[in-house]
Amino acid sequence: MRKIWVVIRREFVERVRTRWFIISTVLGPLLMVAFVAVPLIMARRGAQERVIAVVDATTTGFGQRLALALDRAPPLRATSLSTPVSQIESVADSLAVLVGAKVVDGFVIVSDEAVDDGKVEYRGSNVSSPRDMQIMSALVEEAVFTERLGRAGVDAALVRQAKIPLQLRTLKVAGARTTTASGEGSFILAYVVWLLLYMGILLYGVNVMGSVVEEKTSRIVEVLISSLRPFELLAGKILGVGGVGLFQFAIWGVCGAVLVDRRELLLRLLGESVPGGSMPAFPEVPLVTVVVFLLYFLLGYFLYAAMFAAVGAMTSSEAEARQAANFVVMLLVLPSVLMIGILNDPDGTMAITLSIVPFTSPIAMPVRWAAAEVPAVETLSSIAALAATLLAVTWVASRIYRVGILAYGKRPSLGDLMRWIRTA
Amino acid sequence: MTPENVVALECVTKRFAGLVAVSDLSLAVPRGSIYGLLGPNGAGKTTTIRMILSIIVPDEGTVTLFGTPGAGRDLSGRIGYMPEERGLYRKMQVGDLLVFLAETKGMTRAVARSEARRWLEQLGLGAWERQKLDALSKGMQQKVQFISTVLHKPDLVILDEAFAGLDPVNAQVMKDTVVSLARGGTTILFSTHIMEHAEKLCDAICIIARGRKVVDGRLADVRRGHGGRHVIVAVEQGVGSAEMVLRDRSLVAKADAYGQYAELEVATDADPQRILEALLAAGARVTRFEIAEPTLHKIFIDKVGAEAASVPAGPGGDHA
Repeated sequence: MRKIWVVIRREFVERVRTRWFIISTVLGPLLMVAFVAVPLIMARRGAQERVIAVVDATTTGFGQRLALALDRAPPLRATSLSTPVSQIESVADSLAVLVGAKVVDGFVIVSDEAVDDGKVEYRGSNVSSPRDMQIMSALVEEAVFTERLGRAGVDAALVRQAKIPLQLRTLKVAGARTTTASGEGSFILAYVVWLLLYMGILLYGVNVMGSVVEEKTSRIVEVLISSLRPFELLAGKILGVGGVGLFQFAIWGVCGAVLVDRRELLLRLLGESVPGGSMPAFPEVPLVTVVVFLLYFLLGYFLYAAMFAAVGAMTSSEAEARQAANFVVMLLVLPSVLMIGILNDPDGTMAITLSIVPFTSPIAMPVRWAAAEVPAVETLSSIAALAATLLAVTWVASRIYRVGILAYGKRPSLGDLMRWIRTA
Repeated sequence: MTPENVVALECVTKRFAGLVAVSDLSLAVPRGSIYGLLGPNGAGKTTTIRMILSIIVPDEGTVTLFGTPGAGRDLSGRIGYMPEERGLYRKMQVGDLLVFLAETKGMTRAVARSEARRWLEQLGLGAWERQKLDALSKGMQQKVQFISTVLHKPDLVILDEAFAGLDPVNAQVMKDTVVSLARGGTTILFSTHIMEHAEKLCDAICIIARGRKVVDGRLADVRRGHGGRHVIVAVEQGVGSAEMVLRDRSLVAKADAYGQYAELEVATDADPQRILEALLAAGARVTRFEIAEPTLHKIFIDKVGAEAASVPAGPGGDHA
């Protein structure tokens, strides 16, 4: 046991001292904040002014009202051009020149048909922007809707009343009580949980593999193996690297907690004015979710690190190892690819299957925990399956490791591997 | 098993995928001796050493260390091992690396730290303790590797191809240190395929070829046991001028000519003095005439044949 401790300490100290650790510890949260914040900021700031012309070929003045409605929506500036129906095409041609000269961004052509059967045309340079088109069509639809109701004799005040938009407030029910966590907050939490688990298991697993390959290529492994049992070396290595992972999570966790606690102050410092409800309420993270997260991180990391170590022991160079590790990485990527499916339906068949199958459960189960309520039976059976698989995989991996670290030359075939596993 | 033998192998056999790397090998390394495990490349030296260290397990036979039943790994605190393929953590600081390796041998941190300093000073690397290994020259790295082998004060030091890849300065340092360790009571087991090294250093040897023992014992006994009387002759114009005498089978049973001198095996009934007389009579100007014991190289060639000295036992026989 003392010797395992010696290996653990070396792996831990040597890693924490590297520039890589310091950089990833600092950059990790920055990246994560960027992932969440950049789209939000883009959404707010990216609303660039668009100049729109309305080619009004209506006889009812609808074009003018439409232009007014568009002009009132913040990012748009709109003016209407009264045009007889016969002149539409020639006006359109000259407007197209203006679009080319970037004087206007685009133009809407409306005639009486627009209100009757909803046919409106928009030509512009920004038609490929889904966001712009979404805004456009929503505004035009609203204007047409109002126009139709007005035509049918509905009172304008009544129309305004009817148009007050719906505000659906989502709150997560956990443990049979309503929490303050919003639906959006749960989604972000699940997303962060996924990112941390995926990156953590992958990066630290690959790290273990690199360490095995390093000892093999530098040949120091032979000296080590003369004083340490292969299992002691392997266990010490996995625990040491895992310790670095937990240490990094702890740094992030503490920093994150402080930042969340002081987030309003922070936003004020950044010069953001935050109107009360526009920030999603930060999800409440119950202790049991943290425990589930750490438990699955450790079990998942051990499972994958053992497989990565075996792959490292089979190969003789870093490049060869990376190639051979593809299979292991694929197993890890699988739940990530299906993430959206899990989040859309956290209690669906796919989510339940992925969170119980041992190779995908380390990521799928904590994500489900963050997103929804998971029955205890499912959690327990998932943990039991994962633990049993971990034992079996570690047993096989350590046998491959034991023989592999001293074997150089060509990569072993499947038959060779079977023989390695069988040898006493 | 007498505890007088630090290492004892009994009828040890190891096969790799059907290929016999070591076959029925028995040997004993006496306490305090410098013991040479000799043989050509691929003879099974490395495999034998790995079995002694319990890095690999013999298929048959037993390995006993220090007269106790423990395996090599359990006794690793008493053993220092330098493998043929040298290598260390290149990104670690020299001092930390030495402390770590000593700790895996069971030494405490504080003691390892001070011992590492002492050794680094002694071999002129004191200023490099806090440098990364990468920053050291190859020769310096070899010294660090050697320090890591002996730092924990082992009773038994095992050096695989001890002098391979060493520059002349380091080879000298290595030889001096090995001799002084042996004087201090440490048992040294080293393997080499260069007989001259063994000849200079060893008290006892074991020659193996193709995984089998050819001969073993104290060096003096091995020489005596080889039989025959040997004469080393050097002649002014080179031994070629005395060829007539060397070919005389009534005087010389066998001659190995090396250009500058020749090693002769005296014929069974002949008197070495008669050879000298014959040489002088042939008009050769003799500059050296020495009645000697056979060299290890000669013993080796005689025992296994020149062909076995160069042909490896089989692919992977030495390294698998």
